[in-house]
Amino acid sequence: MFLQQLLNGLSLGGVYALMAIGFGLIYNVLKFSNFSHGGVMLIGCYTAYFAFKIFHSSLFLTLLFGAISGGLCAVIFEKLAIVPLRKRNAPKIYFFVNSINGGLLSEYLIVATVGVFFHTFPDFLGTTNINIGQISFSKLNLTMLIISLITLFGLMWYLYKTKSGRAIRAVACDINTASLMGVDVNQVISLTFFVSGLLGGLCGVFLGINYTIYPQLGKLIVKGWMASVIGGLGSLLGPVVGGILLGVLETFLTAYISSSFTPILEFIILLMFLLIRPQGIAGVIVEEKV
Amino acid sequence: MNKLKMIVILMAMFFLLFSYSWGASEGEILVGNIQDMSAGTAIWGQNDTNGILLAVEEINARGGILGKKIRLITYDTKGDPTEAINAYNRLVDLDKVVAVLGPPTSNVGIPLASIAERKKVPVIGDFMDERATTHSGGVWNFMFLTEPCCSEQAEIAASYAIKELKLSKFAVIYNKANSYSVKMAIPFMSYVIKHGGEVLITETYLFGDTEFRAQCTKIKNANPEAVFVPGYVKDNALIAKQLRGIGVDVPIIGNNSWYVPLIELAGAAANNTYFPNNMAIDIPRFQDFMKLYEKRFDMEPLIHACMGYDNMNILADAIKKAGKLDPIAIKDAIEQTDYLGVMGKIKFNPQTHRPDRMPLVMLKIENEEYVTIGEYLAPLD
Amino acid sequence: MSFYQGLIILVVINVIAVIGTFLLTGMTGLLSFGQASFMALGAYISGMLAVKFNIPFLLAILMAIIASVFVGFIIALPVVKLRRDYFALTTFAFGEFLKAVLNQSVAITGGATGLAGIPFKVNIWIVLISLIIVILLVRNFRNSKFGKECLAIRDDELAARSCGIDSSRKKMTVFLFSVAVTSFAGCLYGFYTCYIDPSMFGWTKSSELVIMVFFGGLNSLTGVIIGTTFLTLSLEILRFTGAWRMFVYVLIMIILIDFRPQGVFGNWELDGRTFEKFLHIPSSIIFKKEK
Repeated sequence: MFLQQLLNGLSLGGVYALMAIGFGLIYNVLKFSNFSHGGVMLIGCYTAYFAFKIFHSSLFLTLLFGAISGGLCAVIFEKLAIVPLRKRNAPKIYFFVNSINGGLLSEYLIVATVGVFFHTFPDFLGTTNINIGQISFSKLNLTMLIISLITLFGLMWYLYKTKSGRAIRAVACDINTASLMGVDVNQVISLTFFVSGLLGGLCGVFLGINYTIYPQLGKLIVKGWMASVIGGLGSLLGPVVGGILLGVLETFLTAYISSSFTPILEFIILLMFLLIRPQGIAGVIVEEKV
Repeated sequence: MNKLKMIVILMAMFFLLFSYSWGASEGEILVGNIQDMSAGTAIWGQNDTNGILLAVEEINARGGILGKKIRLITYDTKGDPTEAINAYNRLVDLDKVVAVLGPPTSNVGIPLASIAERKKVPVIGDFMDERATTHSGGVWNFMFLTEPCCSEQAEIAASYAIKELKLSKFAVIYNKANSYSVKMAIPFMSYVIKHGGEVLITETYLFGDTEFRAQCTKIKNANPEAVFVPGYVKDNALIAKQLRGIGVDVPIIGNNSWYVPLIELAGAAANNTYFPNNMAIDIPRFQDFMKLYEKRFDMEPLIHACMGYDNMNILADAIKKAGKLDPIAIKDAIEQTDYLGVMGKIKFNPQTHRPDRMPLVMLKIENEEYVTIGEYLAPLD
Repeated sequence: MSFYQGLIILVVINVIAVIGTFLLTGMTGLLSFGQASFMALGAYISGMLAVKFNIPFLLAILMAIIASVFVGFIIALPVVKLRRDYFALTTFAFGEFLKAVLNQSVAITGGATGLAGIPFKVNIWIVLISLIIVILLVRNFRNSKFGKECLAIRDDELAARSCGIDSSRKKMTVFLFSVAVTSFAGCLYGFYTCYIDPSMFGWTKSSELVIMVFFGGLNSLTGVIIGTTFLTLSLEILRFTGAWRMFVYVLIMIILIDFRPQGVFGNWELDGRTFEKFLHIPSSIIFKKEK
């Protein structure tokens, strides 16, 4: 049973990792926790659903559609709630506060327009489980895990090997110096949001396929937040590893104790972890973030 | 400072807007409706409201009650008790409704009980928790529940599983953070144990959880004869899918959140489930209602639509019986209700304001369709 | 008790809870994402004392506040030593921790089924008097030497420590004060709704409190009071927008924060200086001369 629970944990971890990677990009570059990522996931999921209903697209196209609409949604959010704050040199904490509002705004937009009823994607991947002997593994979760690793490598390639990726890293290091070096900071920030939105929309579609499409889907982002923070700053590997570890931890706590005790132990473990290793799992000690 | 002045002016405007108050115009009966229309249980609230609207339109088309037309005023609570208290106060003090139709959730129902007692405008709803209709000193005089309370529902499910399906070894998986789920699970388990059955394993989950594989794995290893899954419809669907996915094929016993849209959400995983439902679906009374509902709202009715429809009709009957638009007289008339609705025969026990010993209808899911088995009541013993 | 009275009671309870959050974030810069859990502590402890032991209203509240501060102390010991950015996550996890504890302890607290039957004891005078007491306490606290040292810590902890200010102890004290105020709001809440359950005190409620603090103004007590009143009332007023109510509400908040990112009221306070400017009267006539 241990092996099965480990696989269950990796399944859950894959979901969290995919959420955390988009979240972590903004966290690393702009140094704040972007709660509107949940809203981006939500909108990506719903637009992909409507695209599917109208065009009967394949899985790949539906994912693509979700990703792109997620990216656009993230940029819209940036224009609406972040740019005005940046123009006024607002302290970082206001970005955080406004991002919470951004997430809520998407949820209420869906409730007011599409409505509160549940929708589902069809079973894209056929039978949902792979069974090898006594062990069972969800195909969908395995896919999410693989996709989060692929996007991790894809993102690292993008950031280290392309010109715009380098610009993003420059802004992550120091916004002012980057602009002195000729980087159009505003454009780069919008680009960062777009990329994180692509990942968010992609994740949203997967969440919708796996868990039903409903307006409160965005609230799952708190797990992505936890994963990013414990994953640490300074590298994108952190959020992914953080997500996987969080999934495994939660699954083992549920398996060997009980699901209702999980938040109790999670708090204690989190506290000890942050006291002992404040740079997170894969991070470097940097100046304080929100 | 200029901006500040602007803001202060804006706020003054708001306050002015606010001090407008409404009331009934001649020829109108105002009925309040308190529901969650935008948060986690909004699907219930909107369906409930739709059912009420259907009833209101039918009644008005027949000429209304006491020569007046009904106007429904709906306030959204987001499932939050404080918003519900505000809404109730607003309906009673500003809008001056004669009665209120309440939500199918108890976390709103229970706070409404104490305030309804103080303000004396009756509330008819489907808040299954016993504490919404009775307290240690007796009954909440202005609250009425139009379905069996949760312990009765759980006992019906348990009794059917033990006596009719002849099952005795159960696994239970329920939402520990949800009062509705907890209040079904606990009586179910006590009933099973009291009647010679065994609860092999109890698993829990919390709100917001979407992955239940860890719990499902443990349930599979415990090898039960049936699994009791009393949650909200979305959680039930996911659990069914994940249980079946991992290889647990034994019958699932459900609660009354296994009707529409569960099959839509769970697909083939929902098969081999037995659950108590508020209404039979193969009788003309329901079929007629379903056709009207689908024609008006272009979707299948949930159980809450039936609840709203019946509640409004019960209220209309009571107003007619009372003969006047006085909330206390209406409350007295509601107590005398003897009504045959879509959900069956509803008659309140005056000591509890609940339809004690009202049977539920056992449904089965087979070939991705609902099949009516029949009315069932846990035998008294 | 009319609708308006009920609304005012609710607004004031919210304001007191937000003042509790404001105290912490405004004076130490620590962002607490678990304030609702302290409301839960206050509500549950005072509620249980009243329901199970028939302890009178005021005594129950006093005991609840003391107990909450004690719990806050135990939590704060490890937590204030954390870096600022981790404080939010840890307090969030604490909020979930407390909710899980409440859900588990079915025998004591009723678990998810909640605590019903709390006597209805709150009226408009009680809340207004409470509000005035809280405002006076907080205002004096902020204007004291202690308060000013806290502001130093908030703005630049390293510099403050090099001036000899013991930042950990100060943060702890402010945290405990904030817990006391927030749990007091929770007690009032319980005695008003007469029913509490753990789901009412989740991280969504905590985030609402935090947002209201930032909306009102991190440096302005008056701002926070007026801002919270405005937001709580507009939720009721906006009912005419029907299905779009919440969307409009959040949109208004975003736009106002966009335009006033120091909070709607920034640094403005309703105190001696404002009166001076407004009425051209020296403030010493109305207010005690500040040192």
